[in-house]
Amino acid sequence: MTSATMFLRRRARLSAAALAAGALVLSACSSGGGGGGDGDKQSQGPGEDKTTSANYSIGTKADSAGPAPEVSGAKKGGTVGVLQRDAFNHLDPGQIYYSDVLTNQMLYNRTLTSYKVDDKGRVKVVGDLATDAGTASDGGKTWKFTLKDGLKFEDGSPITSKDVRWGIERLYAPFETDGPLYIPQWLSGDGNAFRKALPEGPYDGKHLPASVLDTPDDKTVIFHFAKPHADTPFATAMPNIGPVKAEKDTKQKYDNAPFSSGPYKVADYKVGKSLTLVRNEHWDPKTDPVRHQYPDKFEISFGHQFADSTRRFLADQGADKNAMSFSNAVAPEMTEKVLGQSDTKARRFVEIQPYVDYISFNMDRLGDVRVRKALALAMPNGQIVQQMGGATAGLLATNYLSPAMDGYRPTDPFGKKKSPAGDPEKAKQLLTEAGKVGQEIVYAYANTDVQQKVAVVVTQALERAGFKVQKKEVDSNTWRTAIAEVKNQFDIYRTSWGADWPVSSTVVPPLFDGRQIADGAQNYSHLNNSKIDAEIDRISAIPDVKQAAPEWQKLADRILTDEVAGVPVFYNRQFSLWGSNLGGVKYHPVYGTADPTGAFVK
Amino acid sequence: MLRFLLRRSLGAIVIVLLISAITFFLFFALPSEPALMSCGKNCTPDAIAVINKNLGLDQPVPVQYWHYMSGIVTGRDFTVGHCPAPCFGYSFSNQQPVWGTIVDRFPTTLSITLGGAAVFLTVGVGIGMLAAAFRGTWIDKFFSSLSLIGNALQIYFVGVIALAVFVSGLHWMDNPAYHPITENPVKWFTGMLIPWLVLSIIFIANYSRMTRSQMIEQLAEDHVRTARAKGLSRRTVFFRYAWRGAMAPIVTIFGIDLGSLFGGAIITEFTFSLHGLGRLAVSSVSETDLPTLMAVMLVGCTAIVVANIVVDAAYAFIDPRVRLA
Repeated sequence: MTSATMFLRRRARLSAAALAAGALVLSACSSGGGGGGDGDKQSQGPGEDKTTSANYSIGTKADSAGPAPEVSGAKKGGTVGVLQRDAFNHLDPGQIYYSDVLTNQMLYNRTLTSYKVDDKGRVKVVGDLATDAGTASDGGKTWKFTLKDGLKFEDGSPITSKDVRWGIERLYAPFETDGPLYIPQWLSGDGNAFRKALPEGPYDGKHLPASVLDTPDDKTVIFHFAKPHADTPFATAMPNIGPVKAEKDTKQKYDNAPFSSGPYKVADYKVGKSLTLVRNEHWDPKTDPVRHQYPDKFEISFGHQFADSTRRFLADQGADKNAMSFSNAVAPEMTEKVLGQSDTKARRFVEIQPYVDYISFNMDRLGDVRVRKALALAMPNGQIVQQMGGATAGLLATNYLSPAMDGYRPTDPFGKKKSPAGDPEKAKQLLTEAGKVGQEIVYAYANTDVQQKVAVVVTQALERAGFKVQKKEVDSNTWRTAIAEVKNQFDIYRTSWGADWPVSSTVVPPLFDGRQIADGAQNYSHLNNSKIDAEIDRISAIPDVKQAAPEWQKLADRILTDEVAGVPVFYNRQFSLWGSNLGGVKYHPVYGTADPTGAFVK
Repeated sequence: MLRFLLRRSLGAIVIVLLISAITFFLFFALPSEPALMSCGKNCTPDAIAVINKNLGLDQPVPVQYWHYMSGIVTGRDFTVGHCPAPCFGYSFSNQQPVWGTIVDRFPTTLSITLGGAAVFLTVGVGIGMLAAAFRGTWIDKFFSSLSLIGNALQIYFVGVIALAVFVSGLHWMDNPAYHPITENPVKWFTGMLIPWLVLSIIFIANYSRMTRSQMIEQLAEDHVRTARAKGLSRRTVFFRYAWRGAMAPIVTIFGIDLGSLFGGAIITEFTFSLHGLGRLAVSSVSETDLPTLMAVMLVGCTAIVVANIVVDAAYAFIDPRVRLA
């Protein structure tokens, strides 16, 4: 589990929220649903307003066959502009983790499996290079993938299992440090221990033994894991479980010139400034169940602040009519204008991302569960959402798991929907019972504008409930390290989490497994309960992720209700807008961004 | 003249070297771990050691400084290959040769600077002269007030309004963008127009006020009065006598402004989503990217020093009383 990376993946989203610092915007989140009017109507994110999320499934062989279903009205040709705020940090699929580059890589990089998103936002994990989402044996410890016919790199050479093996083995090399490491760790050992299995990657002619990673012929890839991993089809959809042609592998330099296996290839890349992708003529749509190749070109440019991209999309003139953004959100100060301009209705969405913000409780310092319950009851989730940018930036959270997760249920043990501003009376009652009225709470937060505003509403709400709050501002550059120290001197602090795939095995264990308490780890509450740990082990061993999904939700709710390790505050949302001359832009529920793979110029 | 240039150039080299050394040593005096930038998230102590070795960060700081500076003249060899002169090293954050990035970004900065300077100098000085010529009249008052307003405005404010009105609202202009002048001069011009105008608004105010006061001062000088008494035409007196005298301090300030702008018009670049040296400077600081930071700083510093030498040389032509020897 490379959990620390999840924080980083969230960074783009956090910055969006930070920009919302001065947000005027929007009506209150009074109804718990965010209350953003049109923003709400637009929200048909996975699981939202449903009793159970049924939006994720493992696709069949037929689902995995190409071509991808035609997008209605789609035309070929034209250039799609992409306006991004932050420059891409990587193009090498082995190094990719952030949501913006995850989205971008879909255009030039194929993986063993991938996510097929339909018009209703339902997601199927399907075979991408592989003929299906993989076949498990040996109780889930062995996974076999068979490659499709007709797969080619951008030079027309065939993609074989050896190229996939090379792509995976190069993750062991010392320079590959930024990408997710699920598969290498499952194959060769946790943490960084896996690197010992192939210290130089495949570059000195050595390979992993067939007992670990086997490619008996050009079409077959077999993983032999040490333990069962039911969510392997999700892990193989990460961008670095795909083919890299050995002769084209330029190691570190590959980051600026990856060799394409997808519908587009890199034509020009000016690091930090722009990227142009053009058609890869050797990509065969019949092999690809997910991607299209409608536009001739994608011209991606960096350095567009949210206000700039929003202004351009709103003005909708010239080349901006054909422009979109993968991850730039609508600038908070322009939210009302966008919602009020009727011609934007068909070219925007507000969707829930798989990212959740929490206030974690330090259980080493807050030993009395009644105090923690009082804190949870008093927390003004609705007001916090407002400070973060309002309804289009976040949806009030009622439990630990995001609606974007498979198996999500809208449970609400602390009545947050009913009392978005908190329930100070009930909280005070609990404090009185515990004899802790006036208890001092050390509340740590990063010294950013938005967190300072959040601190004001949190302090007021907690003091109304009978706490005495001592605010501790921590430098924003160091606060993540500060709160991840086991011996930190804080009682409560804001934390956040984003799942790598919509299965809660990527959420509950890292956040709540007592065996994972360590400096820098993500069990921020230091919840250490052997019964919870045992339950985590039991659910992790369930071979079917669909069966495990509701169990994770039950466990998460048990932790929230009985242990109260922290209080969920809001689910992040992505508010996207694009030019009027583009069609086929849709939300990618797993990456939390605007998906360009079906985009076309009208 | 030659001796002057030689002397000033040597002085300039010393200044640039001094500033480069201060920047370099300050970087290492502050708590920073540049290897972390290249190391990524799943970093190990071993990986950091390898990166430190590859980047030469395991050597004493003075040695690193010497390698960096000598590499600019002679080129350097890195584990990833030879970096030909002028070698400013490889970026810590994106592993690109820094010189390539500078060469890519400099034309944008050059375009912003030269175009903006042309506008603010001609318009600013013109307005100042007009105000001086019609001192005390409504023309003077009007332009003086206008320059006061201009002085109070900021690029990020005027820039956003200009974009909203002229690009998004009236569609009179294109979104600011840099297109190489060699590829499409018209697009280059239209793409740069708004940044030039907005940058100019801020500078015009200074130049018009400075020109006005200098002109008024010059017009009251004895030699100007003598020229008038000799019966020279008003135009001759104004342009040949007063204006020439007034220009000297303005040229000095212009030299400094121009030099600073070559270092990167940071706010202008951010406001208009342009990629020049200013944005590069900001990102290199935030990413603790020493090679890029040093390169931007050296380019900016050299530009300022060279601009000053040019200004000093220009003095001799403007004011015959100044002798360069």
